[in-house]
Amino acid sequence: MPKNFTFLLALAVVLGLPLVLRSGSLASEVLIYALAALGCNLLLGYTGLLSFGQGIFFGLGSYTIAILLTRAHLPMPMPLALAAAVAMGALAAALVGWIAIRQRGTYFVMLTLAFAQMFYFVAYTASGLTGGDNGLLDVPRPAFMDTPWRYYAFVAAMFLIAFALLLRVTQSIFGRTLLAIRDNEDRAAAAGYDLKTFKLLAFVISGAVTGLAGGLHAMMTGIAPLSNAEYHTSETILVITVIGGTGNLFASVLGSAFYVLLADWLSTLWPRWLLLLGLLLIGVSIGMQRGLWGLVEGAWRRVFGAASAGGQIEGEQG
Amino acid sequence: MTQQTVLIEARGLTKHYGKFAALTKVDLRIRRHTVHSVIGPNGAGKTTLFHMLTGTGTSTHGSILFEGQDVTREPDHRRVQRGMARSFQVTSLFASLSVRENLRVAAQGVTPRQALNCWRAPVGQRACAAIVDEVLARIGLQRLANRLVGALSHGQQRRLEVGMALAARPKAIFLDEPTSGMGIDDLDSMKHLIRGLRDAHTVVLIEHNMNIVMDISDTVTVMQLGRVLAEGLPGDIRADARVRSAYLGNMITGGQA
Repeated sequence: MPKNFTFLLALAVVLGLPLVLRSGSLASEVLIYALAALGCNLLLGYTGLLSFGQGIFFGLGSYTIAILLTRAHLPMPMPLALAAAVAMGALAAALVGWIAIRQRGTYFVMLTLAFAQMFYFVAYTASGLTGGDNGLLDVPRPAFMDTPWRYYAFVAAMFLIAFALLLRVTQSIFGRTLLAIRDNEDRAAAAGYDLKTFKLLAFVISGAVTGLAGGLHAMMTGIAPLSNAEYHTSETILVITVIGGTGNLFASVLGSAFYVLLADWLSTLWPRWLLLLGLLLIGVSIGMQRGLWGLVEGAWRRVFGAASAGGQIEGEQG
Repeated sequence: MTQQTVLIEARGLTKHYGKFAALTKVDLRIRRHTVHSVIGPNGAGKTTLFHMLTGTGTSTHGSILFEGQDVTREPDHRRVQRGMARSFQVTSLFASLSVRENLRVAAQGVTPRQALNCWRAPVGQRACAAIVDEVLARIGLQRLANRLVGALSHGQQRRLEVGMALAARPKAIFLDEPTSGMGIDDLDSMKHLIRGLRDAHTVVLIEHNMNIVMDISDTVTVMQLGRVLAEGLPGDIRADARVRSAYLGNMITGGQA
């Protein structure tokens, strides 16, 4: 596959969504959850870290932008507030990561889970800052993005920038080292890499992207709800990432489009739609561990023959 | 032995796992540009000693000097920068990456800070191509350079296992049973490979195959129950009565794997 092919796929989705969807908010939501899933994918697919803490960074992104735009009583340009959301996501990820990566495997996962729960209760308790149960309301958007589709254009620009940067990161020496760490931590350590440094940097990048997603989400809905800080958000991000497939960035876009659109459609048909999602997740876990992207790749290979076999790894050599 | 000739020195190395003493006051001096083998029956403490020397684990007492510097408390990844590299007893590679990429990652590990570069891909000068090609030639895997490691045969993986350590251009190379599970055909090439390392490196070898140990070692240390039982030239070790009884006779002379 050509090097920029993955980016072109993402661009195609960005340009295609307005053609197939009526709701600009729904289209924005696809890209926002895609961003969050990208952050999760960097940890799960590239570093081998299963983090249940992604909701922390998402929620913090939402709160940061909402507080700065509604409560700070300072002249606060929106881009600055969004940058702050990114920074808070990165900072929180540095903190959570710094502690969680001291353990591996199950205990690492448990630590991220513990942080997610703690964050929820802190957000719930600190109602002076976060609005508690009610969340923060009336998060404004600049006048030039007053309609859903105008806002979509803004989200799309942010998404494409973040996607291109992440693509660059995953193809860099650092990204390739992460793949090695994912494959075999003991060997990576014996080869001279301090695993903590690499995992921590992966966490920080992941937190920054997820914070961006959270900030964009708050501006889209106009509120920073407590639910964005809930454990459920972490779960959603993880589920999207796994359904899409790990190890390829576009897989996360695929996963998000699939999840958000399916949820939108099913929830109007049947209030118990989450049950179907559960079945789907079981199917992915048992039968197609490479997710939707794995299906697409398999189909691609069948259509274009064995020429592209060997796939991503050899393609990355280029 | 002077400071110049000794590369690695262990002094009174002791390791306890709970109440069990895996190593008790082991002294070891490994001279530069030699093949120094450590042998002993199962449970003698060879692997524990190996882990202490490579930094995979930390010792309970005693110290380890590398080029006169105390490295006792340094973790394994830091010791790589000093010029120590290891292979694994159970093949331990980056299975979903290509042979070339495995070696590139191993070569890059000597300067891990550069691997934090989030912007540049490992191409051109950053590809470590010269060292990777050199190692590929040495372990005879040039033709399989772009093959995924998971698709290699066991013998090829064992050679790459040694190549991974070589790619770090180490002063000392630690090989943990490099021939484990290898067929007869592969054994000979591995033997030549290890013997050839002595010119540019110092080899610390743990090995069960006595043919190989006796053929290529300059020094043999025999361990038993966490202590050094005997040390000397291969011929002397073969003749040592204590060693013979520790090995229950035939293994040391019979040359069986």
